[in-house]
Amino acid sequence: MEEDEFFGEKTFQHYCAEFIKHSQQIGDGWEWRTSKDCSDGYMCKIHFQIKNGTVVSHPGTSAHVQTCLPMEEALELPLDDSEVTEATAATEVIKYEYHVLYSCSYQVPVLYFRASFLDGRPLSLKDIWEGVHECYKTRLQQGPWDTITQQEHPILGQPFFVLHPCKTNEFMTPVLKNSRKINRNVNYITSWLSIVGPVVGLNLPLSYARAASQNE
Amino acid sequence: MTDDKDVLRDVWFGRIPTCFTLYQDEITEREAEPYYLLLPRVSYLTLVTDKVKKHFQKVMRQEDISEIWFEHEGTPLKWHYPIGLLFDLLASSSALPWNITVHFKGFPEKDLLHCPSKDTIEAHFMSCVKEADALKHKSQVINEMQKKDHKQLWMGLHNDRFDQFWAINRKLMEYPAEESGFRYIPFRIYQTTTERPFIQKLFRPVATDGQLHTLGDLLKEVCPSAIAPEGIDGERKNQVMIHGIEPMLETPLQWLSEHLSYPDNFLHISIIPQPTD
Repeated sequence: MEEDEFFGEKTFQHYCAEFIKHSQQIGDGWEWRTSKDCSDGYMCKIHFQIKNGTVVSHPGTSAHVQTCLPMEEALELPLDDSEVTEATAATEVIKYEYHVLYSCSYQVPVLYFRASFLDGRPLSLKDIWEGVHECYKTRLQQGPWDTITQQEHPILGQPFFVLHPCKTNEFMTPVLKNSRKINRNVNYITSWLSIVGPVVGLNLPLSYARAASQNE
Repeated sequence: MTDDKDVLRDVWFGRIPTCFTLYQDEITEREAEPYYLLLPRVSYLTLVTDKVKKHFQKVMRQEDISEIWFEHEGTPLKWHYPIGLLFDLLASSSALPWNITVHFKGFPEKDLLHCPSKDTIEAHFMSCVKEADALKHKSQVINEMQKKDHKQLWMGLHNDRFDQFWAINRKLMEYPAEESGFRYIPFRIYQTTTERPFIQKLFRPVATDGQLHTLGDLLKEVCPSAIAPEGIDGERKNQVMIHGIEPMLETPLQWLSEHLSYPDNFLHISIIPQPTD
């Protein structure tokens, strides 16, 4: 509709298309989805992770370690029973879904995500939190992206968790300013996702950044 | 001639007579009587149903009680939509009272947001107000307000205090003297026939030539099927409803936004099939 701002919907779609091009080159799994009755759409990625809870063996102490590993790495782990005294290895496969939508109200991209077990049972926010690395937990609590809340997905109408978009401009402006200073091409989506993604378990291979600076 | 300000009161004090019945499969120690209540159109289900919850929990055991949720004719009711919107969209062609079934088990995780506390409702409400101001004023008005003003908006809604609410909300309805209206109009259009929950787009209240856009202009642009004529006599097959009424399509959108918005500052518009009677 109206495109008088820096980051309008067409610009969003353009950066997403570039992003997905690279994703296809490296097999990172992002794809574009459109809704039947409208011209707008969103980026979507699904990946599976194994949630592995094992009690680490130290005589006299028990430290519970919970790690989320990408499926491929988890399957390579040696199962050494002699190292684990109290072995409670409960492996569950979790399906993570990440959607990148455009907010016309704030004129920025927004990250929606949800997680569920394979039988459809959804993970609560508390469960998802446990999969987030410590260093990101403190960062999230301090902002600037404020909070994660449960909201209705504007295209699918289902409950998702969302990183609130109202502070996005605040942290994206310095990123864009800096790259203009050193005359480097930047894909807004790549930069933005590399900042907010890891906080909710979504990591971007470095090659995205190299691809972005090579474009045009 | 009715003053425009009277419209604000009529909208605020709109009520829907509702009959709450406990779901038949819930486990009770005694028979549960239905509970009747007048629901405020502009509020939210989980904000105004404490008495309903207490009434049914009196005949149940604690262990049989989980998160409460509501349903109408098999459709789970989204508590985060204003009550008036839910009624207009799902039940306005049925006879009164509005029949709502109450559940304490089997929360439909795939359909409904959780509502663990009143804080959740407040956070959702304020989030909508902020988004509306992002559209109307690039967030300038809402950001200039103090935290206590934000609190006053919420408390006004929570306690059904029209004057308390509008003392602050009137600032969100102002616009610069050199303009003819808001930057963009906060609106959402709902239909039950689409998978998509609502349509929301950027739309200006004034055209480039300075003419005020109307409700008809908005629908023609973002939801033409809503006002498409059908059949030989060109009868419209849909009703366009806000707060239980059908405003004339010639009504200026800016006026609608200032007078018929919900407390969250959005125009929630329902497109429903013409009733067949």
